[in-house]
Amino acid sequence: MAESIKLAYFMAVKEGASYLGGLLVTDTSGIPLDFRYTEPITPTRLQSILYGKSLEPHLKEEVIQKTLLKELKTPPDLFILSATELAGGWSGDAKYPVLAVQKSQESPLGRVGEVFRAGPREVLIQLADGAAPLRAIFAASVDPAAQEQAVVKLVEAGYHMDLTEPLERVTAALQSLVVKEA
Amino acid sequence: MFGRMKDAMADAAETLRQAFAGLKVVQVEAEPFSLGLQAAPLLLAEPRAGLQVPEAPLRILQLLREAAQGRDMEPFLAKVVGEAGWASWGAEAEVVRMEPLESGRATRMAVPPLPRKVQALGRHEPLAPPATRRAAESLARPALRRADPTLPAGLALAGLDTMLSLAVPIQAENTQHLPKGMWMRYSLQLVRGTGENVRNLEVLGLFRIPRKGVADLRHDPKQGRILVRLEAAALKAPRAPFILARRKDDGGLVSCFVEDP
Repeated sequence: MAESIKLAYFMAVKEGASYLGGLLVTDTSGIPLDFRYTEPITPTRLQSILYGKSLEPHLKEEVIQKTLLKELKTPPDLFILSATELAGGWSGDAKYPVLAVQKSQESPLGRVGEVFRAGPREVLIQLADGAAPLRAIFAASVDPAAQEQAVVKLVEAGYHMDLTEPLERVTAALQSLVVKEA
Repeated sequence: MFGRMKDAMADAAETLRQAFAGLKVVQVEAEPFSLGLQAAPLLLAEPRAGLQVPEAPLRILQLLREAAQGRDMEPFLAKVVGEAGWASWGAEAEVVRMEPLESGRATRMAVPPLPRKVQALGRHEPLAPPATRRAAESLARPALRRADPTLPAGLALAGLDTMLSLAVPIQAENTQHLPKGMWMRYSLQLVRGTGENVRNLEVLGLFRIPRKGVADLRHDPKQGRILVRLEAAALKAPRAPFILARRKDDGGLVSCFVEDP
């Protein structure tokens, strides 16, 4: 069962005046199954003025993310992004539970697999013995039932891999691609 | 105001004209005008011998010299001039002697009344409304241009090779949670695979990695994980349990794939 879970990690970065994003699909061991990235998108000055503050969220969510998701052959089970991106008002897609994961400084929960709900959209998951629990924050579009299903998959995958690490890999890959093109 | 003054002057002039209209003019015999009451000395020319140098100032001489250069001296012509006016004036002059005004001889005159109402001149004419003229040309309709604000979708590229160039961390499974029989089986396979004495081995972890396509493998003791660099063949290769152990005597690392029961 664990082999069938696919985790999609999305990250969009800004390099100079250009935006580019990457989407990494891994198995529950963190081994990459697919990786897609967009060419750098440089909005014109007129577009920057017309979009204003909504330029960056629109670029990341509507342009980069949807472009990358169209390229995936099979839909992911979880769509994971950074907490910063999620806090920026990510609406998410109903097809994929959108959530952010981050390491917490909380004291360990009782046992591995134990879940503590810290808020309507936030849960703490104990993935390793004696370690700090993982914090998972869901997008507003993910209902409680979908959150429960997503938590089960997170526990399963977290047994084999560090759920926060692939985002660092996507960032590193994007930066290496930018350096190559420069 | 000027009209009133003019009328007043006219009244005064009429009054004076009527006042002096009845005066007599008396003609008197004029006394003849006689000349020669005082005889004027005759002009005399006193001849002198020889020429004398005129004693005119040099300034006058210079002026005369400059004037003489422009034209020739005109000769003086003698001419007898008589004045007949004196005799005529003395014979025909009239002297008017006015009799002094006497009381009771004045006549009463009717002074015309001043007009009660004067005509107001310089009437203030109302301002005529200005004539409107249409001179403004209609503005030309600007050309309409469309600047498409749609952001380009960008092209999605496959970058799996780039991603595979990065090390993939794989966490060790917690062997404490494995069934004891399974762990015994894994240990036996480790001894067989490495040829080491089980007492000389320290197990670093059990990892599930692709059976093929692992190009590089490093151990991260701080976090209890291994960093593997994969090749494309690893993506489709099945995952197999992999035990990493260290020899206690020399610290060397040994490893082997084990079979799931």
